[in-house]
Amino acid sequence: MNMIAALEGLLFLSGDKGLTCNEIAEILEINIEEAEKLAHELSNEYQEKPRRGIQLEKYGNTYKLVTKSQYNVFYEKLVQLEESKPLTTAALEVLAIIAYNQPITRNQVDEIRGVSSSHMIRKLLAKELIYEAGRSELPGRPIIYKTTDKFLDTFGIKSLDELPPLKLIDDEEIDENDLFKSKYVENE
Amino acid sequence: MKYTVYINEFEGPLDLLLHLIKQNDIDIFDIKIDEITTQYLNYIHEMEKLNLNIASEYLVMAAELIEMKSEILLPNHKAEEDEEDPRVDLINKLLLYKQYKEMTNKLKELEENRRLMHSKEPSDLKPFMKKEIEETPIDVSLDDLIEAFNLFLARLKDEKPLNTKIIKKEYSVPKRCAEIKNILKAKKKVEFNELFEEYNREYIIVTFLSILDLAKKQYLNITQEYNFQKIYLTLKGCD
Repeated sequence: MNMIAALEGLLFLSGDKGLTCNEIAEILEINIEEAEKLAHELSNEYQEKPRRGIQLEKYGNTYKLVTKSQYNVFYEKLVQLEESKPLTTAALEVLAIIAYNQPITRNQVDEIRGVSSSHMIRKLLAKELIYEAGRSELPGRPIIYKTTDKFLDTFGIKSLDELPPLKLIDDEEIDENDLFKSKYVENE
Repeated sequence: MKYTVYINEFEGPLDLLLHLIKQNDIDIFDIKIDEITTQYLNYIHEMEKLNLNIASEYLVMAAELIEMKSEILLPNHKAEEDEEDPRVDLINKLLLYKQYKEMTNKLKELEENRRLMHSKEPSDLKPFMKKEIEETPIDVSLDDLIEAFNLFLARLKDEKPLNTKIIKKEYSVPKRCAEIKNILKAKKKVEFNELFEEYNREYIIVTFLSILDLAKKQYLNITQEYNFQKIYLTLKGCD
């Protein structure tokens, strides 16, 4: 029995729904570490063999088989129908704020954008890019939001750590910024 | 100055401010509140002329800018050194917002890259599922079948609506009056309730009206000994 072959078949069947480590472990009757190791090996195999057109990706906690992007010129001829619209700038803006500050309340998002985001948040919830992750301890116990695995999938990143780093305000700027706020008094 | 970009293209007042700052090629830290307020207000007025709906957030920002401008223009008598520059808050907000705004382009790029990779719908495994319902083996003769069909025909007959005629009984006060008179002639004395043998609304109403009518025409004596006692009817002149 080749477990890698078994895993490949499972992933093929599960398609874009993918499989989590837990699910793989359960079906193959192995433990989670072993499942992860198998997935890793399979992923390497796809990467190492240029003759394969698919690759194994991990988004959050979900493994799924996807086609290799360099052959998209051919693949896209087949999948034109699937065409889903890319996210709008406003949606991306709200997502970015949530992604870098999660868990975050709607009010905090509004604060940063300087404009109401409730409509956009509802849309993102419907698209399952964010989810309600309970309530904050702030007055009024507002709902807090976090990004989903589908968010990671949409942007093709393995985990939140892989988000491109926020371009922090330059050092020089920070200094100047600090001057405004500093309570430092000379000759104290 | 010509405004080629319209407010709908901005994600909010901060976005618009950043646009103005960029257009004027000034450093965020060197915002001239005076200038930027004028430009911002021009923008808003232009929008009003075009009859565009302006979200309230834009107006709030306009008010804040004007407040800041007046604060800067008016000589500050206190002139306290540690007084905060009124711009600090705005500058910080703009910087924070700018961070995320810049990130949207990166996210867009990531999204585009991801869209180069395709997946497929999960396979439909239903055909392979074990059938829940076990088929019962067929073990019937032709006779059974005929029997079943006859039973079915019989049931069909039963379920057919019965042949019925619907007759509408009509009641009339004069007719009922005559009836009551006959009853009274035969029985001499009748209890009020006895006259209401049939329980349907029309019958009760017609009977009651007949009694009233007979009483009015002085055919009837109606007697009751005490309140809530039985009421008796007798024909007049037949006491």
